[in-house]
Amino acid sequence: MRPLLILTALCTATLSQQKQSDFYTIESIPLPPDEVMEIGSIALMPGDKVAVTTRRGDLWICEGAYGDDLTKVKWTRFAHGLHEPLGMYWKDGSLYLTQRPEFSRLQDMDGDGSADVFETINSDWGINGDYHEYAFGTSPDKNGDVWITLCLTGSAGADSDWRGWTVRITPDGKMIPTCSGIRSPGGIGFNAEGDTFYTDNQGLWNGSSSLKWLKPGSFQGNPTGNKYHKLANLPAPPEPQDGSRVLTEHLKFPDYIPPAVVLPHGKVGQSPTAIVPDLSGGKFGPWAGQLYIGEQTHSQVQRVCLEKVNGIYQGAVFHFLEGFQCGIIPAKLDERGILFVGGSNRGWASRGNQPFHFDRVKWNGKTPFEIHTMSAQYDGFTLTFTEPVDQASAANPASYSMEAWTYILQKGYGSPEVDKATPIVKSATVAADGKSVRLVIDGLVRGHVHHLKAPGVKSTSGLTLWHPEAFYTLNEIPR
Amino acid sequence: MFFRKCPFLLIFTLLATPLHAQDGEQLYGLYCAACHAPDGKGATGGAFPPLAGSEWVHGNPKRSVAIILKGIHGPIEVAGKSYNLAMPPQGDALGDDQIVAILNFVHKAWGNKGQDVPRDLVRVARAEFVSRTTPWTAPELLKILPLEKQPTALVNLTSRVYKGQWNQTPDFTKIQAENVEEEHSGILDTALAALKDDFGIVWEGDFMAPADGEYAFILDADDGAKLILNDQPIAEVKGLGPMDGSRVAKGKAALKAGANHVRIEYFQGKGNQGISLGWKIATATQWQWVSATTAKSTGGNPPIPLMPIDGKTVVYRNFIKGSTARGIGFGFPGEVNMVYSADNLAPELVWTGGFIDAGLHWTNRGQGFQSPMSEEVITLTKQRLLPPTARFKGYSLDAKGNPIFHVKINEQLLSDAFAPGPDGTLVRTLKLSGGTSALEIPLGDNPSVTTEKSVSLTPGKPVTITYKLR
Repeated sequence: MRPLLILTALCTATLSQQKQSDFYTIESIPLPPDEVMEIGSIALMPGDKVAVTTRRGDLWICEGAYGDDLTKVKWTRFAHGLHEPLGMYWKDGSLYLTQRPEFSRLQDMDGDGSADVFETINSDWGINGDYHEYAFGTSPDKNGDVWITLCLTGSAGADSDWRGWTVRITPDGKMIPTCSGIRSPGGIGFNAEGDTFYTDNQGLWNGSSSLKWLKPGSFQGNPTGNKYHKLANLPAPPEPQDGSRVLTEHLKFPDYIPPAVVLPHGKVGQSPTAIVPDLSGGKFGPWAGQLYIGEQTHSQVQRVCLEKVNGIYQGAVFHFLEGFQCGIIPAKLDERGILFVGGSNRGWASRGNQPFHFDRVKWNGKTPFEIHTMSAQYDGFTLTFTEPVDQASAANPASYSMEAWTYILQKGYGSPEVDKATPIVKSATVAADGKSVRLVIDGLVRGHVHHLKAPGVKSTSGLTLWHPEAFYTLNEIPR
Repeated sequence: MFFRKCPFLLIFTLLATPLHAQDGEQLYGLYCAACHAPDGKGATGGAFPPLAGSEWVHGNPKRSVAIILKGIHGPIEVAGKSYNLAMPPQGDALGDDQIVAILNFVHKAWGNKGQDVPRDLVRVARAEFVSRTTPWTAPELLKILPLEKQPTALVNLTSRVYKGQWNQTPDFTKIQAENVEEEHSGILDTALAALKDDFGIVWEGDFMAPADGEYAFILDADDGAKLILNDQPIAEVKGLGPMDGSRVAKGKAALKAGANHVRIEYFQGKGNQGISLGWKIATATQWQWVSATTAKSTGGNPPIPLMPIDGKTVVYRNFIKGSTARGIGFGFPGEVNMVYSADNLAPELVWTGGFIDAGLHWTNRGQGFQSPMSEEVITLTKQRLLPPTARFKGYSLDAKGNPIFHVKINEQLLSDAFAPGPDGTLVRTLKLSGGTSALEIPLGDNPSVTTEKSVSLTPGKPVTITYKLR
């Protein structure tokens, strides 16, 4: 009878398992033949057109990227000879680009389908020829300002003006130095409320990659670019102590804003990139208002829910989409709920083994059983779910486990996970509607990443979670 | 490290929980496989360095430890292929036991025959390299932890040294040798001649083939070299030139097991010298070297020469040698080229012939400044000649793709247009608009290109200058 038992067990496991293709479809958008399309930025244009720039400096416009038959896409090269653009948007008939040396506006004045005006709006930051001096830019914020984050020179230098800073370019072309402490950004964008965030990569003064809130005037932890406070007539923040912890230094100097969400190195990713708010109103799944983060090395998209506690952003990251063919760099979500992602793995390898790609992702309307949000309480967390949970499993503290750790804030490259703790789930109380669970936890540690595993939680229909874990960065414990 | 601060806890943990031993394969998958690939062959079809069959993971394990602790960047040769990437240091993120576990996996995986890594080695290496704050370069690391020499395949080797000035490999049989030596090392090294310039060396001996079969050879030299096996020419690096991979010669030969007569002819002109000769069984992936240096088999970056398409000027905005980081290159039809610096607001370089090879910037991470595709680049100016208030406002392209640069100088606008003229000329048209002030623009001092030293602009009156580039 034993083989039969095993077979039954396998069938049950299969039935309760959810997989990506049950909910999301990734489709490759055919690229112009014989072109190297290492995509660095994406802009959505009127008339269902999508523009992309490449690391080689081309700008192509795709028609048919929304179509049912992707073999019919048509590509037109709109410009070439650009300098590695890593930010682009469309506004009032022009494409605006963050290029390595400048913020620019491209126009097609003679209407022949290719750009003939390359207007430099601002080029007040320095570059010196080092490949690492990348510039990532946003679309305009609610004031019309474009945010540009400027990677350090190499891994450890700030040899050109404003390296290690985030600046804003105003509608009249002025540059406002806005935040310091940047190391090596992979993307920049807004959350649903319009606040600005960037992703910074593990390295010097960065124990793990993370999503960081660019609160104007803030310091983000890496002191390499602090010499430019002088240029801005601003007082430089105190240098963080080598070997300290983010929380310790934040308490000494409150304008050092701790990472909103740590993306634990290796466990969640190795190179976070694009930041995409879900403004589709639920057309891309039940995640309206949440964020998606591109991941270059792991060729994935992660999901983030944020909350503000005591004036500081924090929240949880969840595994979400995987299996892209290449490392993801830019991503844009259309209002209709189509996620466009592109990328390259030149110089930085990725799990997806293609040198470049351009994909679209669609949701099929089916709701996965998943943790929807995780929010901090004074004595634990509240989880909300996309579907009602099964009372017996969700109310059982043994369905959950938790580990917590932080990283060393140090001059060295990255950090091991340190100061490990094991918070204990004391009780789990299911709400009347079955859509949320209140966890009371002994041993929360302020400043730590709290890694929740919930493999035992089931939905009322017997499903286990699609992704049964979350990583919450507890900068503040609510009072 | 947390562990370092808590030695007691560490010992306790190790004793109490032996099951917490690290799984090297799992750690490799987590931290290393993204670049080196799960199968060790290097991600994206070998676009990143392999560990499977890599000479770097054989021999002294301290070399691997040093790389993991401190990272490595810049040009490197791995299994006969050139790379120019960066591996970040992992020593501050990974513990000693994790590094040992990863290396013990890598050193035995995929047919590798690397050594076991003693746990202490990581601790010792940390202490030894504690003051190092930057990643290694390959030459730095090899200086202290060289790759192990494979037993040489060249035996009964003799060398003959000749003196003379040549532009190509001469017929050495008609020249009297200055000196003859036996070379028991079996390694080709031009240093044996102890000469700087204008000499030649001929080595003769036996190439010991381990088995019957087809063999591949790779030869590079500064300046020229010829490989002759069993009296058959196999590969030749012709004429004068550097040993940078751009002139590598490869050849194949079917050989019987045992001794095969080999003759290597080499000559040196002036400047740098050297010879690299590698061999492998044709189907193998890894070259074995019988020379003091190894060749760059890939020839550095694959060339990606840019040129005008459909009669339209091609634009290249990147780091171009001789100009500033904000240089913008234009390759006009008719093989006329220029670089305009958006830092210095002036045309800085002009030349005729090929435009730019984008291979450097469009391969790997693209570090460095790329030289124009010409030996005869004319520098017009090298510094900013306009008032400090002048601001770059971008450029427009005319119907043929030729640029008109826009510079704002206080309340005036300067437009600065360039187009190819007949017979290798570049025609520059400057126009000032707005305001009433006149503007004097220096043109540098290049009488062969233009005899004019400067132009005086008054608003509304364009001035045209023709640069003669040939």
